[in-house]
Amino acid sequence: MSKCRAILETVDLRKTYRLGDVDVEALRGVNLRIRETELAAIMGPSGCGKSTLMHLLGAMAKPTGGRVLINGRDIAMMNDGQRTEVRRKQIGFVFQKFNLLPILTARGNIEVARTIQGTARGDGHDEHLAELLRLLMIEDKMGRKPSKLSGGEQQRVAIARAVVNRPAILLADEPTGALDSKNSEIVLNMFRELNRKFKQTIILVTHNPELAAYTDRLIEMRDGLVVHDSNPVGDEEISTLVI
Amino acid sequence: MIFASLISRPVRTLVSVLAVALEVTMILVIVGLTTGIAKESGRRIVGVGADILLQGPNSSYMLALSSGTLPVAIGGKVKSDVPGVKAVAPVLLQTNSQGGLDLVYGIDPVSFEAVGGPFHFLDGQMFSKPGEIVVDDLYARSKKLRPGARIELLSQTFTVSGIVENGKGARLFLPIGLAQEMTGAANKATLFYVKVDEGQDVDAVKTAIEKFLQGYKVTRMSDLMSQMAPSKIPGLEPFLRTVVFIAVAVGVLVIFLSMYTTITERTREIGILRSLGASKTYIVVLIFEESIVVCLLGVIVGVFASKMVAGTIVKVFPTLIVTMTAEWYLKAAGFALLSGIIGSFYPSLKAAKLDPIEALAYE
Repeated sequence: MSKCRAILETVDLRKTYRLGDVDVEALRGVNLRIRETELAAIMGPSGCGKSTLMHLLGAMAKPTGGRVLINGRDIAMMNDGQRTEVRRKQIGFVFQKFNLLPILTARGNIEVARTIQGTARGDGHDEHLAELLRLLMIEDKMGRKPSKLSGGEQQRVAIARAVVNRPAILLADEPTGALDSKNSEIVLNMFRELNRKFKQTIILVTHNPELAAYTDRLIEMRDGLVVHDSNPVGDEEISTLVI
Repeated sequence: MIFASLISRPVRTLVSVLAVALEVTMILVIVGLTTGIAKESGRRIVGVGADILLQGPNSSYMLALSSGTLPVAIGGKVKSDVPGVKAVAPVLLQTNSQGGLDLVYGIDPVSFEAVGGPFHFLDGQMFSKPGEIVVDDLYARSKKLRPGARIELLSQTFTVSGIVENGKGARLFLPIGLAQEMTGAANKATLFYVKVDEGQDVDAVKTAIEKFLQGYKVTRMSDLMSQMAPSKIPGLEPFLRTVVFIAVAVGVLVIFLSMYTTITERTREIGILRSLGASKTYIVVLIFEESIVVCLLGVIVGVFASKMVAGTIVKVFPTLIVTMTAEWYLKAAGFALLSGIIGSFYPSLKAAKLDPIEALAYE
């Protein structure tokens, strides 16, 4: 087995929510390593902790316990400002409901991500964006507002927005959950293409078993724990991992 | 993003812009009216053409507040006994509150014109018969008067004998004898306008009058002008500060309400921006910028509206003067922007504090 680099790792990751007087353990010690350039799917039934895991991996929330290492940096110890910076520079999000800004055109939605990132025009960024739009087949949709786009087109714009700044990891939460089967297939193929063409690390969170066919690896969760991993990363496989 | 947001909520944007415009208009028009009227009063007094104003002891610079307590004979004594005095004109002031608030000069036309030069008659002539009155052109226009027209003033009916160019102290002129008769102040005057001989030092003559009439109030006309500056008028500054405060309060409340509601409407948008890595500062600046754009649009609309309102006021009430200075344009714009900053302060902090996950889940 060739040596690889773990871009993302969780160690005994825990998250407990307080609902009224009751503590709910959404994650009960998740240990996970994701290889760089990997296209992985995290699956499981509703309430198993998938979305919570995604929020923690995406630096959207702080864990109750354990560690989340992105490129060796523990984001669990970071404050809000530092986690925001991680989201800006290392993470791309794709949501089930697309979450495009309705007041902006498709181009505006993508530009907003570049503005927040402070991505300068030139330096190859425009060429990268043009290539992305070609790959996602939305070049001619850029002037339209989300309300004038189909669900599939909206999701492709959301994907373009998520990867325009070349994030280290793309996290997609039920990306096909709001799409019909035809558009789901298109979107999933695009994730596959992004992974192959741009070596983009992608983690899909879903409860749809069909989605697994498009990924390199299937991680199954239940009751806040990883219960099955089709291609786990062993210690002997890791070349550089900072813990 | 800012403009897209404003355009996407046109009613909210329009109401906010109009509210800021109202704030700007309120400041500019009220300040313009008060300062305009004060300045114009001063200009009219200077327009009399005198060099010195002689009043009784403890008299006010606000001429309308003075009463007729000086014997007319003082004027003759000053002219004959004080060297360097060319002419002295006694004036008995009356304030008419019928159909408005007007200062009426009771004058002796000969001595009045000897002090400040002849009246410029635009129509008609000087009063010569009992019950006649001379009015200035602005008063005539505001009341639609022509020579021969009858007007009710000071509880009497007068006939307009002539219309003169404005700027000679008052807008209404009566014979001083009639004014004295009406007020029961026989042979009395409120004040005297004094003209010094050509080439005479006004200060020297003023000092000589002060020596001659000890205790009387003797003022150079140029000093009187500075005394009549809006900042010197009792109560005007607090009044203007109150107007500005109310206007700014209106602006602050409207911007606050507008931004507060927009934060609620845009919770999900803010969540999206936060998920994209927008910092809290980015969100605060975004809200601030949006409110500043609203305020700037409000300033532009407010300035145009102020000009329209001022134009309408002057057209409908020709005797009113609205003076809008560059200083007050800047101040009004500053107050509008200040209200935008204050009004959006809390909403922007509230937006920045939103939890990205909760914001994204907001429906």
